[in-house]
Amino acid sequence: MLSIAFQTHVLANGLTVVLAPDRSVPVVAVNLWYAVGSRNEPPGRTGFAHLFEHMMFQGSANVEKGGHFELVERAGGSLNATTWFDRTNYFETVPSHQLDLALWLESDRMGWLLPAMTQEKLDNQIDVVRNERRQRYDNQPYGDWDERIQAMVYPPDHPYHHTVIGSMEDIGSATLEAVEEFFLTYYRPNNAVLTLAGDFEPEAALARVEHYFGGIDPGPDLPPLPGRADLPERIGEPVRERVEAEVPLPRTYLAVRIPSLTDPDFPVADVASSVLAEGRGSRLYRRLVRGERLANDVLAFAFPLTTGRSLMVGWVTGFPESDPDELEHAFERELEALSDVRDEEVERALALAETGLLRQVEQLSSRADLLSMYQTHFGDAGRLNGELDRLRGVTSGRIRAFAENLLAPDNRALLTYIPSEAS
Amino acid sequence: MSTGQPIPSGRGSPPSPSAIRPFHLPPVRSDRLGNGLAVRSMARTEVPLVSIALVLDVGEAPVPAGREGIAVFAGDGLQGGTARRSGVELAEGLERLGSDLRVATGWDATTVAFTCLAERLDEMLALLSEVVREPAFPQDEVERIRRQRLADLHRRRMEPARLADDELLREMVPDGQPYGRPLLGTPASVESLDAEGVRAFVEERYGPVRGGLVAVGDLSEERVADLAARHFGEWGKQANDRADLSRHRESGGRKLVLVNRPGAVQSELRVGHLGPPRGTSQEDALRVANSILGGAFTSRLNLRLREERGFTYGVRSRLSLRRDGGTFTIGTSVDTGVTAEALAETMEVFDRFVQSGPSEEEVTQARDYLAGVFPLRMETTAQLAARLAELLVFDLPDDHHHTYRDRIRGVDAEAAGEAAAAHLRPDRAVMLVVGDAERVAGELEQAGLGELKVRDP
Repeated sequence: MLSIAFQTHVLANGLTVVLAPDRSVPVVAVNLWYAVGSRNEPPGRTGFAHLFEHMMFQGSANVEKGGHFELVERAGGSLNATTWFDRTNYFETVPSHQLDLALWLESDRMGWLLPAMTQEKLDNQIDVVRNERRQRYDNQPYGDWDERIQAMVYPPDHPYHHTVIGSMEDIGSATLEAVEEFFLTYYRPNNAVLTLAGDFEPEAALARVEHYFGGIDPGPDLPPLPGRADLPERIGEPVRERVEAEVPLPRTYLAVRIPSLTDPDFPVADVASSVLAEGRGSRLYRRLVRGERLANDVLAFAFPLTTGRSLMVGWVTGFPESDPDELEHAFERELEALSDVRDEEVERALALAETGLLRQVEQLSSRADLLSMYQTHFGDAGRLNGELDRLRGVTSGRIRAFAENLLAPDNRALLTYIPSEAS
Repeated sequence: MSTGQPIPSGRGSPPSPSAIRPFHLPPVRSDRLGNGLAVRSMARTEVPLVSIALVLDVGEAPVPAGREGIAVFAGDGLQGGTARRSGVELAEGLERLGSDLRVATGWDATTVAFTCLAERLDEMLALLSEVVREPAFPQDEVERIRRQRLADLHRRRMEPARLADDELLREMVPDGQPYGRPLLGTPASVESLDAEGVRAFVEERYGPVRGGLVAVGDLSEERVADLAARHFGEWGKQANDRADLSRHRESGGRKLVLVNRPGAVQSELRVGHLGPPRGTSQEDALRVANSILGGAFTSRLNLRLREERGFTYGVRSRLSLRRDGGTFTIGTSVDTGVTAEALAETMEVFDRFVQSGPSEEEVTQARDYLAGVFPLRMETTAQLAARLAELLVFDLPDDHHHTYRDRIRGVDAEAAGEAAAAHLRPDRAVMLVVGDAERVAGELEQAGLGELKVRDP
């Protein structure tokens, strides 16, 4: 049903370019994925990939500190970047007559970031990132849930054992030498995918991409990931943790190991999450929020991760007077019960997925991001067009098998926050 | 440290833009049903989706004391089922069509919105009509919602950013005026809401008058008019009055308040005061001024506090312009150790901006930014439906968005400076800190920002 037209090219230096023209509005989304994220960080350098992303906005050979934001905002564009486990993405959406500006900015920092790096800028961004960590993790109820969950699901030598934000100590110890090394290793054209979606003529756009990016030197082969990526399919035993903390309401997080994004069974976990907790018609909402009124809110989603095993996470939030045992039991009971999933529930989830995907590709920036994602992780941007068919291939039988195998007690990590006396 | 590969010549300055391609927002078609319901539609046929927004003239602002939160409560309760189907059956019916209803109740209006495949529009509108015209508010659903709202209010008190937002409103808005309390209501008012009261409220307030149906997407405008008439044409009128709240627009004087949150590793800072309503004559110039002061990433505040000083992950200022008055707020969170310094710098940047106004250069940049990003924010059918809904909530002309970019481009430095001087008032601002009093009170007292009042949340 999806038929997004696109073409793929590879420049001589290894940069993969995905072009998805759509002339309906005079806007173009420029989206650049580097296949590097927190999984590439060795011990002692947690949080570095994300700190490095901040440094990418501190100017490059021909761009002043802050110039990237200033030039794009002035051009009437929006921009940002995010760092995650497997990748870091940079993106601008600009009026189409400003396409060259976006390409010039992205290529300047891909090719010539280092001449602009200074200790002063690094010190400033270390402060900014430490404040980001305080704001999002340390000063936030449940703020450390992912730190705890990742450590429960992945062993210490797995690249997903630590969080993207990293530890305060590691963030503070970053050096300019590490910036240089990281840049020359990972921020190379042969480790990147550049996607344009929107208002451009493909042949002319490809010539502009070649003009700006063609002269950038490729990098060496990538070093192996630190630690060990391969994992048993299940955690192997039930893992439990309870934390007394300054939280307003008790909440139980559940995490399980699921197949990697690149595994044919990943969509099963995706649809199962939706059956469990997407919308008011989902099981957890119907039964725990509405029926038994044990829960204030519920959530479940499958992370699209590629290194070894991916992660499904859910939560059930209770009320001030809730009994944590009862929350945990109810959650686990619903996991067991998923083996009686009915076809109508799967159809409901697929109908939501269909509208959801159409809404995502409706927006040029997320269309470009999805194309970059499929190109980076599968070597095939066109997988986007087959996504609905893969989801439709998920049957109640496959969900049943998934529930029996991967939602079993020996693959469950349960983390429960209990409000401390003070709160 | 090496500097990588040699820098080629000829890359030195940003490339010039190519020829601009004009952006045309499709026209808005306007109709009105016999019962008063306005209809606004816009065709966008690139994707087979339609977004609908039903606007009701039901907001929290006019809700009298003691019943705060009842409009939000009623909106939530719509999901609890109708005369013909239970809440569970309703949710399943909507989601099997690949959609859901989003009910958003604000100070000025309640909006019930959804996005669906174009081929399912008729069925979805039938459900929407049933939900707003025949809501049941069964006893057990009302009790469930009440308990959840009370839990939400409790939760807001423990999330530093929400707590700071709520405490700022409390300090900023004089007692008895609208907008001065959490939208959800207060624990006491929510506790007192019951099924009978909510049913009576909806009976009296929900209806077609001063409301409207917005449709954007893969549809013909004629069909929208037909569908609107079929599903909402028989809807009876509601009580036809609107509270006049326009006298409530006064800010108190400047003050400095610290709300104690022992052990906090960051301090939440807020600076704010009351402002003009939506539709004020200087609105566009004021938006340009706000962008320069704190609205954009490259604003004066963010460049100083984040990029120069490293005090924060980010700082933003925001105008919330409503039907009967608005607010201007600056918000950020900073490392506890720099609390007083960060607040003093914020006020210094704010004071100086209002005193000397923006430069021509800054205004050009802000204008280009605001006019340029406009098409980016009108991309999806849901975004467009939300924008058309604004026309109805604030009685704006149908071409309000069509003329936006020209109006913004018409703002010069003088106009932006005048708007800032008239509507941005550091002399009347509440400066509020949520943080660890033991660590920050002393410095705040010494910061020369005024007399410090310390209290608990």
